[in-house]
Amino acid sequence: MGELAIETVNLTKVFGSFKAVDGVNLRIEEGVIFGLLGPNGAGKTTTIRMILGLLKPTSGYVRVFGIDVEKRRREVLRLTGYMPQHFSLYEDLTVEENMRLYASLYGMGRAEARRRVEELLEEFMLTEYRDRLAGKLSGGTKQRLALAVALLHRPRLLIVDEPTAGVDPPLRRYFWEKFRELKEEGVTILVTTHYMDEAEHCDRLALMSRGRVVAEGSPLEIKRMAFGGDFLELEVEGDPAPVLEEVGAKVVDSEVTGDFVRVRLLVPDAADYLAPLTRELERRGIRVIRAYPVSVSLEDAFIKLTAPIEAEAVAGCRR
Amino acid sequence: MSALTALIIKDIKQLLRDPKSFFMVLMMPTMVMAMFVMGYGETRGAVPIAVVNLDGGVVSWQLIEALKNSGNFKIVRYAPTKELGVELVRRGEVYAALIIPEGFSECVLEGRSTQLVTVLDSAYATVSELVWEAVVVAVQGFLRMAAERYGTFNIDVVKETVYGPKVSSVDLFTSVVMGVLLHLVPMSLIAVSISRERERRTFEQLIMTPISSGHIVLGKLLAYSIVTVSDMLITLGIAVAILGVRVRGSLIDLTLVSLLLLICSLSLGLLISAVSRNQLQAYQTAIFLFIPSLLFSGFMTPVELLSPAARAFSKVLPLYYFLKAFKNIQLRGWGLGDVAWDCAALVVEAVAFLVAAVKVLRLRVE
Repeated sequence: MGELAIETVNLTKVFGSFKAVDGVNLRIEEGVIFGLLGPNGAGKTTTIRMILGLLKPTSGYVRVFGIDVEKRRREVLRLTGYMPQHFSLYEDLTVEENMRLYASLYGMGRAEARRRVEELLEEFMLTEYRDRLAGKLSGGTKQRLALAVALLHRPRLLIVDEPTAGVDPPLRRYFWEKFRELKEEGVTILVTTHYMDEAEHCDRLALMSRGRVVAEGSPLEIKRMAFGGDFLELEVEGDPAPVLEEVGAKVVDSEVTGDFVRVRLLVPDAADYLAPLTRELERRGIRVIRAYPVSVSLEDAFIKLTAPIEAEAVAGCRR
Repeated sequence: MSALTALIIKDIKQLLRDPKSFFMVLMMPTMVMAMFVMGYGETRGAVPIAVVNLDGGVVSWQLIEALKNSGNFKIVRYAPTKELGVELVRRGEVYAALIIPEGFSECVLEGRSTQLVTVLDSAYATVSELVWEAVVVAVQGFLRMAAERYGTFNIDVVKETVYGPKVSSVDLFTSVVMGVLLHLVPMSLIAVSISRERERRTFEQLIMTPISSGHIVLGKLLAYSIVTVSDMLITLGIAVAILGVRVRGSLIDLTLVSLLLLICSLSLGLLISAVSRNQLQAYQTAIFLFIPSLLFSGFMTPVELLSPAARAFSKVLPLYYFLKAFKNIQLRGWGLGDVAWDCAALVVEAVAFLVAAVKVLRLRVE
């Protein structure tokens, strides 16, 4: 278990009478890609802003690499790169001017700044746009510039807020490749998204809904949490029920066509169950025609996990 | 309901629901008028003048009594010689010196014509005008009253000015124009600078770098100083080279005083910027803060004519110190040492505004 890159304790933010973030506890280990997942208005951006010290928490606190953000924010900033949700660089400066400005603000010397800017221009395919005003760039190029600026000072932690919102598929793929490269270099990444397919790329996820973390774990763990296990599907000739009962697999759905039975099972772990279960059925003389794990999407898991909360909230409004 | 009525109602609702517009519409006129009444209402200030009584006779004291009753000015000094009276005007201690010549009483008693010399400060034309008129009126009143007692005689009121024969209106307005240009323009320009960064979201990225609020405030102050100082030089240049404005003192001194006001205005603008949430609010605040300067800095009416409360208020306005120092250098030919207090006041205010701006500016996005 590595060092904690981010630790939030009972993080809460209240705007007027609205609880945007409600007692969020996160422990993000160094070197992982951590996804903060949730619909718009779930409190993802507010959480991130509190982690960065851009908002003052109503209660609770944040530590980044063990440093208290409230008290020693500047130290945290040297270790942290941030790419906000909306383009936040100077549109009336050129690509290079923006990068040079930020290099100076991070305290780089002239020679070092020049070297680093050239490096990033190259890496993010920005060289041809270096003299163009940032305001005149296309959406995708702006995003690349924003990421390049966030990485100028070689942060150990990169926080990106919805980096792929409104970005075309090739660039989305490019971004995720970058994130993986950075992870290889040991950078911890905290990323928010509401694209479920993207969330699959994360090592760990926290699902947020109405200001609260409703589930946390790897994508697989979250799916298991939502449904209570993995799904398997079997097509057999004969009656599998006694065997299934013995091994403790729960039948979710079944369909009988003559001698053939198709069942959908819920088991604690698909990989552990598939082979032994098939062997046992064959041993009892039940012919297994097909056996395969059923993949569920994170989206299904997400809806399952958040449905009770949403329903409660709706009921609460009606009351 | 027609589309137009619907739109009108919608706009009225919006105006009333936005606290800032509401403030602008209803509170601002009330407050400005309150300020106006406070400064220009019943209790007026009086112009300080000096009297040189070379005669010393009974009639001369009767004349002085009549002048006192006119109420527009206040005799603050009695000087023994004409030279001393003129010197008081020159030093700016009084706006005028009234000189009653030797043998004044005798002339009146014998029914001969005599004189009353009024030495005016042409650097302050409005005040001079006022004093002159008041003296003429007071003398006329005195003549009517004295005619019953001493028979017919005549007093010529003679006008003399220090600082040359005449100060043209261009000369007089230079300080005012420079004051507006160096106060309102830089102040409102820089007032929107930080809120613009907030609105365009660049603030969010900027404050992710390890800089302090002092960096932001000083960075903006210096950048805007460098840009607006050219404005200042152009205005002053045009005034002197093209309009032929007369400058009795040193041009370098004038430039220095102007630079101080410029920095003070920018500092005040930065304070506005640090507390404002958006550009519109910042603009409105800058304009709102300019109104007291307009009324009480000596911009329209000499500060001496304001009520005591308003006069005390003038002392916090940067423009008050600037106008005083600028006029004294330009029209009276004073040196930088003579206006050191005014310069010091500008520096103190600038520093106070800057410190407040740094303290108030929060490096957060709330």
